[in-house]
Amino acid sequence: MAQDIDPRLLSMLVCPVTKEALIYDRDAQELISKSARLAFPVRDGIPIMLPEEARTLTD
Amino acid sequence: MNEPFIARHYASRAERYVTSDVHRHGDDLDAIGALAAESSFGHVLDLGSGGGHVAYCLAPHVETVLACDITPNMLDAIAREAAQRSLPNVVTLCAPAENLPLGDASFDAIFCRFTTHHWENPRAGLCEARRVLVPGGLATFIDVTAPVSPMVDSWLQTLELLRDVSHVRDYSCAEWEKMLDDAGLSIIGKHAHKLRMEFASWVARTGAPPVRIEAIRSLQEAAPEIVRDTLVIEPDGSFTVDVHRYVVVRI
Repeated sequence: MAQDIDPRLLSMLVCPVTKEALIYDRDAQELISKSARLAFPVRDGIPIMLPEEARTLTD
Repeated sequence: MNEPFIARHYASRAERYVTSDVHRHGDDLDAIGALAAESSFGHVLDLGSGGGHVAYCLAPHVETVLACDITPNMLDAIAREAAQRSLPNVVTLCAPAENLPLGDASFDAIFCRFTTHHWENPRAGLCEARRVLVPGGLATFIDVTAPVSPMVDSWLQTLELLRDVSHVRDYSCAEWEKMLDDAGLSIIGKHAHKLRMEFASWVARTGAPPVRIEAIRSLQEAAPEIVRDTLVIEPDGSFTVDVHRYVVVRI
């Protein structure tokens, strides 16, 4: 089972591109920025907040 | 994987920075611990956390330490070490200092040790540090500083770059003070100390290839007297640098 983001950290995080709120998709282990249309991966509970590592949202 | 240059560079070297004597000891680290012990910080940020030594030092005195680094493998090593040391309030985040995914005024204090010399854009990094700090919050920046002599400065940067291709620059005190002022961070303390770099472990930490180690030794042997004297270059290649610790407050 994937390790979740620590809730203390989750409450501090914003999108690095727009500085707006993120949505945590636990199933996909991604942090979604609707404003930037990017999905940032979470690996072993560590958010990887690098725009070059993010998946572009298409829908 | 499409990690930034520095993250790829440090990916296989994380454990060396957890165990490095240069990084896990020092009066500057003791000063950080003392400041945290006498303060009542809630959330603090270890910006450019490397092997995590600042985070381990802060953890007993604060509510939460966020260890932030651009290299995921460094963060894995920190998470393992923090668990081993029973420090559950250390949390980890992968992000560049120049573009922090953190809300405004999120931290009571920020600590940044031996990392600004890697930043591609130090001015952006310092502005981001100010943004995530609470008004009146404290930040501490510690790093190797360039000598006043332009000649010795050039030699130091060259030795550093040969040893570590992700080296950007050891800034001079004049550069530091201008950058901090420009970022809206007011200096309330400035402390200096010397740091001796033992040659064999210094080059081993970055995994410098033999050709570059040979180039460093060749340069050291050809160095003019002012360079040898200022950097206290020893027969085995060990040398000594200035380190400065700036304590600043968000204006």
